[in-house]
Order: sequence, then structure tokens, then C-alpha cells
Amino acid sequence: MEWTLTANEPGKVCLMQGNEAIVRGALEAGINFASSYPGSPSSQVLGMLGNVAEERGFYAQWATNEISALQGCMGASFANARAICIMKQNGLLVSADALFCGVQGGVKGGLVLITSDDPDAHSSTNEFDSRNFAPAAEAIMLEPMTMQETKDMIPYAFELSERHHQLVIVRVTTRICHGRGNVVLGELPEKAHPIQAVDEWDRMNCVCYEHQATLNKLKAVQEEFENCPFNTYQGPEKAEKLIITSGTGKLYAKEAISRLGVAENVGLLALGTLWPLPEKTITSYMKEAKEVLVLEEVDPYLMTQVEAIAGRYGLNIKFSDRGTNVGELSPDEVLKAISALTGAAIPEKRVKQNEQGEKEPLIRRELTFCAGCPHRATFYLLKKALRSEKIPGISIGDIGCYFMAGGEAGFFGYQVCNAMGSGINVAQGLGQLTSYGLNQKVVTMCGDSTFFHTVMPGLLNASYHNSDMLMIVLDNSATAMTGFQPHPGTGITAMGKTVEPMSIEAICLAMGCSVTIADPFDIENTQQILLDLLQQKGLKVLIMKQPCATLKSKQGGPKKTVRVNPDKCLGDGCGCDKFCSRVWGCPGNSWDFENGKAVIDPVSCVGCGVCAKLCPAGAIEVEGGAEE
Amino acid sequence: MLSTFALDTQVIKKGLCTGCGACQGMCPYWGSKDGRTICYFDCERHDGRCQAFCPSMPTDYKALREKFFDPASVIPEMGPFKALYVVRAADASIREGGAQHGGTVTALLEFAMKNGFMDAAVLGGEDEKGNPAGVFATTVEEVRKASGSKFKIPPTLATLNKALAADEYQKIGVVATPCKAKAVYKMKSKPLPERDNNADNIGLVIGLFCGWGLEWDGLTELSAKTTGGEKVSHSDILPSKYHSMEFTTTSGTKSVDLDEVLPLVRDVCKTCDDMTCEFADLSVGGARTGDGWDVDKGWNQVIIRSEKGEELFKAALEAGVIEIRKTPEGALEKIKVASANKKEKAKEIS
Ligand SMILES: Cc1cc2nc3c(=O)[nH]c(=O)nc-3n(C[C@H](O)[C@H](O)[C@H](O)COP(=O)(O)OP(=O)(O)OC[C@H]3O[C@@H](n4cnc5c(N)ncnc54)[C@H](O)[C@@H]3O)c2cc1C
Repeated sequence: MEWTLTANEPGKVCLMQGNEAIVRGALEAGINFASSYPGSPSSQVLGMLGNVAEERGFYAQWATNEISALQGCMGASFANARAICIMKQNGLLVSADALFCGVQGGVKGGLVLITSDDPDAHSSTNEFDSRNFAPAAEAIMLEPMTMQETKDMIPYAFELSERHHQLVIVRVTTRICHGRGNVVLGELPEKAHPIQAVDEWDRMNCVCYEHQATLNKLKAVQEEFENCPFNTYQGPEKAEKLIITSGTGKLYAKEAISRLGVAENVGLLALGTLWPLPEKTITSYMKEAKEVLVLEEVDPYLMTQVEAIAGRYGLNIKFSDRGTNVGELSPDEVLKAISALTGAAIPEKRVKQNEQGEKEPLIRRELTFCAGCPHRATFYLLKKALRSEKIPGISIGDIGCYFMAGGEAGFFGYQVCNAMGSGINVAQGLGQLTSYGLNQKVVTMCGDSTFFHTVMPGLLNASYHNSDMLMIVLDNSATAMTGFQPHPGTGITAMGKTVEPMSIEAICLAMGCSVTIADPFDIENTQQILLDLLQQKGLKVLIMKQPCATLKSKQGGPKKTVRVNPDKCLGDGCGCDKFCSRVWGCPGNSWDFENGKAVIDPVSCVGCGVCAKLCPAGAIEVEGGAEE
Repeated sequence: MLSTFALDTQVIKKGLCTGCGACQGMCPYWGSKDGRTICYFDCERHDGRCQAFCPSMPTDYKALREKFFDPASVIPEMGPFKALYVVRAADASIREGGAQHGGTVTALLEFAMKNGFMDAAVLGGEDEKGNPAGVFATTVEEVRKASGSKFKIPPTLATLNKALAADEYQKIGVVATPCKAKAVYKMKSKPLPERDNNADNIGLVIGLFCGWGLEWDGLTELSAKTTGGEKVSHSDILPSKYHSMEFTTTSGTKSVDLDEVLPLVRDVCKTCDDMTCEFADLSVGGARTGDGWDVDKGWNQVIIRSEKGEELFKAALEAGVIEIRKTPEGALEKIKVASANKKEKAKEIS
């Protein structure tokens, strides 16, 4: 069914992605302010908000990092604005100081913080479970289980936030963000939430004497949660076997209960309020139970809490879980766990087995950079430069597409990767040791978006203390990994305004760094620049400038045609050992095993022509396209 | 075993790499920096030419010699032998313009190029930064520019490999130290007939006598220390009785005690058993006339080893581009002793 984010058609049923449901929920709540730093799985939310911000009369911003985003929202809340802040789980960690202090300071206008977790780390470096943050920060946390709940929970969270003058975290996971489901639209408010003047005596301070007040708020919220519509129970009135779950677990459990035919003898308590937990509600069901199965993914968050509750109430219960704290829940796993809980046999699979039996229907593929990606060239040159040292140099990674450089895609191009903006700091530390007996060159890298996000303070530190290291800025003019969100270097804002872009070069120079600019596609010269820079003492910045290949293809324009001249390709007779397709590894370079020669896949190839510069037989030819 | 792995473990890690460059210039996997041979990426071949051409990989050098030289001509201490001459370039501008000793090599190269004995030559010259580097010379000017001995050993055979692969010249002469010469003859023997990298286009091989090469970084430091950082236009290791090394710059010649130099001798050179460059059409070294260094440094001694070497030498002599003086009494004996000495020491080490 056709629909738009801003359709004011209450009651209309729309098939919505979870991220869209968050946006719609925010619009129905009449937000005034939205800020975010992109990160999977919730990257799209602010992009969509930005697109409709003008139409709906609110402000939307891609902040340079999550702490800027959250504190910006706090500012808005101080003038009674309804503010929504969106970030992924790692972002929550970046904003942790703001969050913990913000909870003690309280809020005025509703402040809802969306944190999107990525169990199984589909597009993350880790599967950090943000639920543990709620009790630690003494913050309120909700979690939806369906797309409808996702949409409905946002206005609810704003009201809750304003009722208790406290920020509310709504935790979602990849399955919610990227899944789809039917959502019944609610009403869009006629006017945005009213902004109010800030009184001279208004305060939002993080001070210790607010601690008790913060805890009192939590108590009041807990009372409210005992009757919250987002906590549901289904099953017999007195269930000896009880399942407690939240998030994705609910639908998986419902399906398994029906497949196993155990609806009569097992109870399902699904919790939408993760903190504070509705202790009385939970206890009322646990009191009847002999066995409790807790279904959750990653950390044993609910398990630890319900075990503690059982302890407090002296309940003698046998607890079980799915047996691991790693990865996402799967329907199969849930089916097995409920079968074990109830003793009901698992029915035959209705889906026919793949004919080849065990064989996976899909070929496993290594993570790799896109065809024509400038990072491939950079890491190729870097690897050669590092290996050219007497003792190979040390390379420290960072977060962005180039995270993949740690594997085959980047020729195993770095040894340490910690978190956003960490490369400069880790490298800076190592770089100080070159005066204390470390006889190796130290290199790190970051993308342009990461540069603005958290690298700048680290670079300032490295520059001030003149660490002996090379910082490579992989300037591809894009926040490519998360989908091309604007950042301060792009000259555009979330609301589509054109502004003066920030110059990375100028920033580095202002920080007192020596700066060199090179093009990773200019293989020969840039290789020499890298080798030379490694010989220089002190802090050096090398900006590798070459736009993201995907960005370039999005912009269109004539592309060069790259072909392998089969007469020149020496195939197996060449000493190259399939260098283009095996080592260089661009998806555009392929090998024709029938003829024993290299070929270009015209569909993948974007015409960068770098492989033509590397082929030892000169067999790859480039034609046409725009002049560089 | 993967060839890159074999070379890494059996040659490089064992300190047996001569830095000749025979493994380089044919593929994207090998390269070098400051005389160090580097494997940039792993290759999956088990039959790489890198391994097949490497002079430090196990090789039956006796069989290799018999393939190219008359076994009857072999003198055990110094390899195939036809004649010994004391020679210099007739053109004083070669001798005084940067040649190492008598400029014989440069004169022979120039003559060979002008007269169809060679159409190009691979030499040990310098790159733009003044670092030793392989030079592919196709003109007399380029030959002249590359004269003089480079004691930091540049991987000139990488240059040879590239030139052979390009297949544009059919008589490519090579100037080689003994380690390089061994590799060149391994190439000529086509250990991998299907992938010979156009080895037939290798022309005359002019060998250089060699005591040893020096550590790249160490020599850079020593010469900078000795000359105060001036650009060195010429350097030499004097005959043993002088026990010194000289560095010449625009402000004159400075010498250092050999004791400062000896620690810089590359480990691999201590395992080398070839002083006179036994795999060559003719080999050239410094002369020992008995008239002292001032005279000797302007002359060479040449061992003719093959018919082709003899042909070039005779033609050059006839044309008057080189001149000879009487070979001093006992000269051959002296070479034999020095050469046997090197073989003895190498045996002790390995
Ligand atoms: C490392 C080394 C050690 C040597 N040790 C001895 C020794 O112990 N006793 C002895 O009698 N002679 C030795 N020689 C040889 C000597 O230094 C002269 O090269 C030789 O006498 C020829 O002199 P020339 O005047 O004809 O040379 P030139 O006319 O100057 O020609 C020399 C040619 O050799 C090439 N060349 C220079 N260095 C290298 C290199 N490293 N690799 C490949 N090609 C190169 C140059 O490009 C040039 O074409 C050594 C040479 C080298 C490079």
C-alpha cells in the first residue's frame, strides 16, 4: 500500500520498516528537534526526519558525534522542546558521560533517546548489549516487539519523559530497525510541541543532591510500569512453566508455542519496559511457576534481574535460557528451548530441505571493498610501505568502511582496531615509544567522517606531544559505510541546506600538523610519498583524496571501460599468480578459468583503472571516460 | 612449498639474500628498498621464477658451469680461464670521468653497444636521489653515467628481468658481481622452460671481481660521517696492504680505516666463494701491477672466460678503445691465491 511518512490518515494500515516506524512515531509525537550520528541499524532514521523536517516544522541535524547529538537534544529540551536523539549501541557509549549526567539533571521537554543494538554484529564491530546501561545510568528504558509497538512507543515515551521529567531510552535491535510489519497510522499533531522561554531559575544540572530525586523518579515510573500496555501476558492464569522475554523473543516464542501446541500449559510474559522492571507484575507470574525460561539475546540481562527478584521473594524456581550469550535469537533456537521446557516434540520441518542436503545454498564471501574503492589502493600502498621497513611498521585501524582492511580486503592492513577515533590515540601512544626503544614506524588511519567524529581531539593531543607517527586521512568525501549521511566536510546539512564545508587540511594545519595530500589512485607517486613520509620523524598527516566509488557512480557521468587484452594477458604463464583477481581482489577483476586468463566483470567495474596500472603484463586496458 | 615462503625462510630469514634482484621485476610480489629484498604479498605458486633464479637457493653450480663453459678451461681456484690481461680504457675521459679503475668495463660496454655486440645493458648506476639502482642503458651516455663501483649492492637483476619481459632488446649485456652473475647464468639455463622470461635475449655478461658488498644503511652512515654529508662521487676499497676505504667528494678524498668498514660487510658475502666472478664472458677487477696504488688505480685486470668474451675483447683492443700493458710476473698466481683464500673462508663459515 502506498503511503508517505507525513500522511495524515489515522487508521490507515501501512507496511513499515522499523526505522520508518520510529520516524512516524516521532512525527506523531510532534517533535521539535532531532539529532543523530549515523550508525547501523538506525542510520536511516535521521535521514528520513531531515527530509520532512521543514514540512513538519522541526529542526534536524546530523551531529559530528553522538555526545554532541545527545547534548544538543538536552539544550532543546531545556526550552521545553520535544527532542529525539538516535544512535547505535557504540554511539551510546560515546555519549555515556552525557547520558549518565543527563539522567541526574532531568529534562523539561520530552527527550527520547533511541539506541539501536546489533546482536550478531551484522554491521558493527561488536554486539554490545545496551540494556545494561539502563540500570547503570538509572535511566528509563523501553523496548518494542513489533513495528506497531515501535511507532506507538515513541509518543508514549515522550509523554512518560515529560510526566517524570526524565529522559527515556527506547532500545531497538537490527530485526526491528530493518524488519517490516503492518502499522496503523495515528494522528499527526496540528502544531509542533510548544517551545517555552527558559526561566532564570530553571535548572538541569548534574549534581549529587539530585541523586535521590532521580531514584524517586524511577520508583514512580516503576509503579506506572506495573500497568503499562507494553507489558503483555498470554497463557493460562496459573502457568507452572513460564517464558519471560522481550524484543524479538516475543514473536519467536508465540510462533513456537503455536507450532508445539503448548498454549494451554505455558505462559508467555513479554516485557516492553526494560528498566525499571515491573517487579510486582513479574513476581505475580513467577509465584505460580516452577520453571522459567528466559529468552533474550546477548547478555543475560533479564535473567540476572528475574533471578534476583526470585531471590528477594524466596521463590524456588528452575531457570533456563537458550544456552549462549552470543548472537541473535533464532526461531529454531526458541523452538528447541520451548520444546525442552514443555517436553513437546518438535514437528517435522514443513520447508523442504535443500536438494544438496547440507550444502549452504549461498557461497560464503569475504568482506570486501566495493569495486573501484579508493581504500583498496590506499591499503595496497600502505602494506607495501610498511613491509619496506626493516622491521615492518605497525598499523592501527579505526572505524569506517576501512575497518574491513583488517582482513583480506585490505591486505591485512592493520593490527589494532578499538573504537571510533581510537586509531590516532593508540598510534599516538605507540609513537611516543620510538624514543624509548621501539624501532618501528607507526601508522594509523581514519575516514573523513570519523575525523570529525572523534579523531580531532586525539590529533590535537598527538600534535601537541609530537608523536612520531603517520596519520592517514582516508578522505573519500563521504560517510560511506552508513549510507552517505552529510558530515561537516560535505557542505550539506540533514535538512538539505548548503553550507561552507570544513577543510580537513585546514584543521590539521591549524593543529600544527604537517600535511601532505595524495591521490591513492596515483600509484607510483603516492607510493613514494608514503615511503618518504615514513622516513620523517614526528607527526605527519597524509590526506588520501579520492571520492568513494559508490558516491561517484551515484553522481553518474561517463565511466571508463576497462578490458583485459587476452593477447597480452599471460594467464598462468605470467608470474603474477592471478594478482588482479586473487590479491588485488577488486570485485571488477575476475578470472576466466576456462581460458586461463584474467577478465573484467563489466557490471561490477566502475572504471577506476587502477588494476591497469598494476598488471605486470600491461594486459589491462582503459578506454574513454572523463579525463582525470 | 610456496615459492615466496621458500625464499623467505631459506634465503632471506637465513641472511643469505644477496640483494641481486633476480627474484624481482617479474611479478607484483617482490620488490626492494635500500638493498633489502621484500615480499609484499604472498604468491600461491610453488614453481616461481623467483625461487628458480635465486643464486642462494640450492644449485648445482658445477653442472651449470659445464653447460656454458669448456670444462677443460677451468682453473679450480678461479673458474673458466682463457687469458689474463692488464687493461685500461684508451679514452682518458672515461678513466677520469668516474670510472672505478681503468674504465675497462665502461669502454667495453660503449664499444659493444656501438658495434652490435649489445643493444642495451643492465648496469649498477644511481637513481634520481643518488642511491644505487639498476640502470637500463641503451645509449653510450647512459653507460658513461653509470660507471663506478657501487658497494651498496643495487638489485640490478630486477631491471634485467623487466627489460627481458618487455622483449624489446635482443642482446642485453649485463654487468654483474659474482652473486648476480650466478643468477644470470641460472636464468640463461632456463630452469622453467615454459616461463623463461626471454632468457635468450641475455647477451654478454661482464663480471666484476668482488671481495664483498657492504650494508646499505651502515655505509650510508659511514660515508656521511667521513665526508660530513657531502655527495660521494667515487669510493673504493684499497688493496689490502693499505687497509682503508676512500670516499671522494668535490672537496677531495677522505679515507677511513678498514676496521670501520669490515663490520659493515654483509653476512651473505662472507658465505660467497667467488672472487673473480666465475660465471661471465669476461671478468674485470682492479690491477695489481706492483707499481703502487697510484698506478694500479688507473688499470684493470681482465680474465677472458668464453669465446664471446674473447671476441669482444679482441675487437675492442683492435679498435683501440682499450689498451694493455704487460701483465706482471706472477699476476695469475696472485689472483689464484686471493681467490682460493675467499673459497676457504666461505667454507669455514658454511
Ligand atoms: C661490491 C664490489 C666489490 C668489488 N670488490 C673488488 C675486489 O675486491 N677486488 C677487485 O679487484 N675488484 C673489485 N671490484 C671491482 C672494481 O671495483 C671495479 O668495478 C672493476 O675493477 C672495474 O673497474 P672499471 O674502471 O672498469 O669500472 P667502470 O668502468 O667504472 O665500470 C663499472 C661498471 O660496473 C657497474 N657496477 C658498479 N657497481 C655495480 C654493482 N654493485 N652491481 C652491478 N654492477 C655494478 C657500473 O654500472 C659500471 O658499468 C668490486 C666491485 C664491486 C661493485
